[in-house]
Amino acid sequence: MTTASAAARPLVDRAAPIEPAAYVELLMNITRREVKGRYSQTLFGVGWAIAQPLATMAVFTLVFSRLANIVADVPYPVFAYAGLVPWFFFLNSVNSGTMSLVQYRNIVTKTYFPREIIPLAQVSSRAIDLAAAAALVALLMAYYGIGLTRWALLVPALLVLLVAFTVAVTLFTSAVNVFYRDVSPVVQIGLQLWLYVTPIAYPLSKVPLRWRGWIAANPLTGVIEGLRAAVVYGREPDWALLALSTVLTAIALAGSFALFKQLDRYFADVI
Amino acid sequence: MSSDAVAIRLDRVTKRYRAGRSRTIVDLVASAVDRARGAEPDVYSAARGRTSAAIVALRDVSFDVAEGSGLGIIGANGAGKTTLLKLISRVTWPTSGRVQVAGRVVSLIELGAGFHPELTGRENVYLGAGLFGLTRREVDRRFDDIVQFAEVERLIDMPMKRYSSGLYARLGFSVAIFSNPDIVLVDEVLAVGDASFRRRALESLRRLIAEGKTVLFISHDLWNVRRLCDRILWMDEGRVRASGPAGEIAEQYMEQVNLRALANQNTALESHRRGTGEIRYAAVEIVDRSGRATSSVREGGALTVRATYDASAPIHAPVFQIAIVDVDTGMTVATATSSRDDVPPVVDGRGALECIFDPLLLRRRQYTLRMTIADAQQLVSYDVVTAGPRFAVTAGAGGEPAEDEGFVALPFRFEHRARVLSS
Repeated sequence: MTTASAAARPLVDRAAPIEPAAYVELLMNITRREVKGRYSQTLFGVGWAIAQPLATMAVFTLVFSRLANIVADVPYPVFAYAGLVPWFFFLNSVNSGTMSLVQYRNIVTKTYFPREIIPLAQVSSRAIDLAAAAALVALLMAYYGIGLTRWALLVPALLVLLVAFTVAVTLFTSAVNVFYRDVSPVVQIGLQLWLYVTPIAYPLSKVPLRWRGWIAANPLTGVIEGLRAAVVYGREPDWALLALSTVLTAIALAGSFALFKQLDRYFADVI
Repeated sequence: MSSDAVAIRLDRVTKRYRAGRSRTIVDLVASAVDRARGAEPDVYSAARGRTSAAIVALRDVSFDVAEGSGLGIIGANGAGKTTLLKLISRVTWPTSGRVQVAGRVVSLIELGAGFHPELTGRENVYLGAGLFGLTRREVDRRFDDIVQFAEVERLIDMPMKRYSSGLYARLGFSVAIFSNPDIVLVDEVLAVGDASFRRRALESLRRLIAEGKTVLFISHDLWNVRRLCDRILWMDEGRVRASGPAGEIAEQYMEQVNLRALANQNTALESHRRGTGEIRYAAVEIVDRSGRATSSVREGGALTVRATYDASAPIHAPVFQIAIVDVDTGMTVATATSSRDDVPPVVDGRGALECIFDPLLLRRRQYTLRMTIADAQQLVSYDVVTAGPRFAVTAGAGGEPAEDEGFVALPFRFEHRARVLSS
C-alpha cells in the first residue's frame, strides 16, 4: 500500500521539524485549552480581565493624582488605565508563563513537540484579556470626549513590540524556572517593582532628568509611552525612545530564544 | 514490504540522570568548589548540581531497528526500557552517544497525555494530533476513523472530564495511531481498556507493521510481545542483555525469571497463607520426570508437584487440592483428591503426596500453584497457599510460536477434505 517505503527516509539526529501550519495550529489549540481552563466555571469570565486594571486604576487615581499630585494633560483615569492595559498583559503573561512548562510537565515528559509553544500559548491566551481591557479604553475616551487621530494607526506595530518583549521575558523565565523553582517568587517580586520603574502611574516627562535614562532603558517604557501617545494624546510618539525599545527587545528576544533552545533538551530530565 | 532500511539507530548511547532533584545554593557552591579543583564537569551545563549523584539509566547501548519491523523490549522494572523510548522520541537527550531516527515518531508513553479535561473529545482530538505534528486539515481527514476506532461517537462533543479512564485511553490510542507515524513507540499502555479494545489495539499495531511502519513495544506480557514482534531486545540494568529472534530471547528471559523465582520459592510459601492450621503444607516442590527440582517444563512434558504436610491431630478424609493458575489471566485448572482413593481415610503427623501431570497439557505461559487442604465437605479450609511455586511452560522441540489464546493445550487435529459434496 505504501509506496513510500521504496525511497528510504534518511536517519537524522534531530526531531523532524513540524510544518509551519501545524505549529501555528498547535499554538492555537494550546491557547484555547488555556483560555477554556481559565474561564470555565467562573461567573464573571473574561470580565476579570477588565476588573484587574480597573481596580488598579482606581487606586492610582486616588494615590497619584490626589496625593502625589501628578498632573497629566488628559483626565488621570484615562491616562493611568491606558498604561495599565498593556502592563497587565505583560504581567499576567510573564506570571503564568513562568510556571507554564512545569504545569505542562505531563506533556513535556511524554511527547516531543517544540517546547516554546507552551510559554508562547500563555502569552497568546492573554490576547483575549488584552482585547477586552482595551475595549474599555475606547469607552473611557468616549466618556471624557477624547477622539482618535491618525497616530492610532501605529497601535498594531506597538502591540507587536509589546508581544515581542513579553515573549522574550516569558521564554527566559519559563526555561530557567524548570531548573530553579525560585524563579517564580523572584519574578513576582520583580514584577511588583517593575510596575514602578515603568511610566504607568506617571509620565516619563515627570521623571527627574538624571533617572530618565534608566527608565528609558526599560523596553516597556517605549511601548507604553508610545501607546499612550498614539491613542490617548493622539500625537507623534517619541521615535528615539521607540527605537531604543525596539533594539533592546530584539536583543532580548534573540537571546532568550537561543537560551530556551539550548536548555529545552534537559527539560524532561529535571522538570 | 520490509526492506533493509534502518528506522532507528542507537550508537553507544549512555544516559545519566541526576539522582537528587533539588539543588540549593549550598549544592551550587559545593559544585563550584569541585569544579575549581578540576573535578569532572556535570552533564547539565545549564544547571550544575553536585556531580557525584547520578543514576545511569542506559550504558553504552547500540542497536538498529529495521524499517517495517516490530521490536519488543523486555526487562525488569528500572532496566531502562522507558528511557530508550524517551530518547527515540526526543523527549530527552543522550548524555553521550547518538540517537538517529528516520521519519515521524509517535510515542505512546501515556495515553492521552496531552488531553485537557475541560475540552470536548473533538477539541482534544485536534489538540492531541497537533502535539504529534498534524495540521487541522490532516486531522479533518482522519477524524471519523479516530472516533470510530475509539468508539466514542456518542460522547465526542462532551468535555473529557465526563469520560471514563478507559474511554480516555481509547481516544488517546486512536489519535496516536491515526497520526500518520513512521515509527510508533508503545510503552505498556495496553494494560488499560477492556479485552476487546486491547485486541483491536494489538491488531492495529500489527497492521501498521504490515504497512511498513516500525513499532517498538514495551510490555511485561511476553505473550503479546511475541504476537506482535519478530525480534526482542532484552534490557537489564541499562544494558542490552540479549537481542535476537523473539522466540529465542523470550525463552532465555523466561529461564532467567524462573531461576530467580526458584530461589524465592521457599519464602514465597510463607506469605499469602490462610486456613485454620490443623494440617498444613510443610513444603512444596515442582520436579521433572527425573525428580529434579525445576521451574520450567517443556510443552507436552511431565510435571510433578511434590508436597509434604504436617498434621497436628488426626484429620478425617482431608481433601488436597492443587490448582494451576495462569499468572497473566488468573484462569485456573484444579485437581482434588476428594473423589479418589489417593489419600488414606485418616491422616496424622507428617506425610507426603505427589500430583503427577503426564503429559502436562498446558500452553507456553507462566503459572503458579494454589494449594489448599480442606475437610471432607470442603467447608473448613485447614490450609490455603494462594501463591505457591511458579513455573513456566516453555517451547517444545517444535519451537514455533503458539498463536492461540487460552492456556490449555487440548489434543486435537484438523482433517481437511479438498472437495465437500453438497447433499
